[in-house]
Amino acid sequence: MDQDITAAREKFLNRDFDEKTFAIPAEKTIEYARLCGETAPRFLDASHPEFQAPPTYIASLSGSRSLPEGFPRFGLGMDAGKGVECFLPVRPGTTITGRTHLHDIYSKTGRSGRMVFAVSRMAFFDADGQHLANADSRLVMREKS
Amino acid sequence: MSLAHRRPLWQFCPAHCIQLFLHFVGVLVLLDLHTHSIKSDDGRAKVENYCQWIRSKNLPIDGFVLTEHRQFDDESDYSALAEKFDLCILKASEVETEYGHVLVYGVTPGLQAEFDFGSISLSLARVIEASNAHGAIAVPCHPGRPRVGMFAHTDELGVPEGVEIVEIYNGGSRDQEDQIAIDNASQLGYRGIGGSDSHIVSHVGRCATRFDVEIKSIDDLVSALKAGQFEAVNLKSGN
Repeated sequence: MDQDITAAREKFLNRDFDEKTFAIPAEKTIEYARLCGETAPRFLDASHPEFQAPPTYIASLSGSRSLPEGFPRFGLGMDAGKGVECFLPVRPGTTITGRTHLHDIYSKTGRSGRMVFAVSRMAFFDADGQHLANADSRLVMREKS
Repeated sequence: MSLAHRRPLWQFCPAHCIQLFLHFVGVLVLLDLHTHSIKSDDGRAKVENYCQWIRSKNLPIDGFVLTEHRQFDDESDYSALAEKFDLCILKASEVETEYGHVLVYGVTPGLQAEFDFGSISLSLARVIEASNAHGAIAVPCHPGRPRVGMFAHTDELGVPEGVEIVEIYNGGSRDQEDQIAIDNASQLGYRGIGGSDSHIVSHVGRCATRFDVEIKSIDDLVSALKAGQFEAVNLKSGN
């Protein structure tokens, strides 16, 4: 692994750099579900006993920072995709907390030269501190040649 | 390995029928030697979905090799899928060197200890030397591609020692990248393989390599590559 990547990993990985609370309004999660084409009543019907936000809803929540303070700018940054990992349902009408850390930093080479990827993970917790889900946001920085 | 798979003949296009005929008259195996699954950071294809696609589209390949980026996938066992779909599924690696990307077939624990597969600045000479020492074989892929192809670097770095095979057909090649690979390989006396470099299921089998010996294991594949018993095949539409 390149020295600058190793150094960045040592300095920034797995350290929370942001915390934010999010209200989860039922009308918003229902609208989100409708826009996604969901048909399952548990996502659309607030009276359903298992009423919950669609799993990908959390990917629409963003923190106050996308990268930690002092993170090196390797180049022009672009969105390189998102992913979610769900452990427990996110219940509309509650407030959840998102804590963000860098989960991975790595590099690869392509037609345009070296690219550095930073995977920012927001871990969501309910009021009891239960880990509900993770939302990963991947940023690619293309180095200037 | 059979290509017939109980499919009626009318489901095959003429090129597939020729392939089928060749299978009946002798041992011929067609493998896609360059694919990526979700194990690669940019791979979006599940291995089972590759298998389903190959069978549902009657692709004329008998199997594929997973060449995950900057790693060797030790943990996955695809033998059940291979049996279920009657496909040969093998595992290899794609590593990154100063001469661009290189496929490594025949990865062993010993070879993994020789260099950091995750590095993007490996020495090609080191990769070739270590591969040879551990019974593996290193094959520069998409060598006609800017930056990540071997021939983009030979003017500056010279022609590397020890290369015997390069990928001359790559499913992700643009413009003249394959032709550059073919021309340079011909000039330098390299043999050529083909692979789709697929990252999504619908791209598997766009290019492949035909062998005239049975390939049932990675050892069979490495032996056939070292013996030169193969031919690159371009199956992209229009070819």
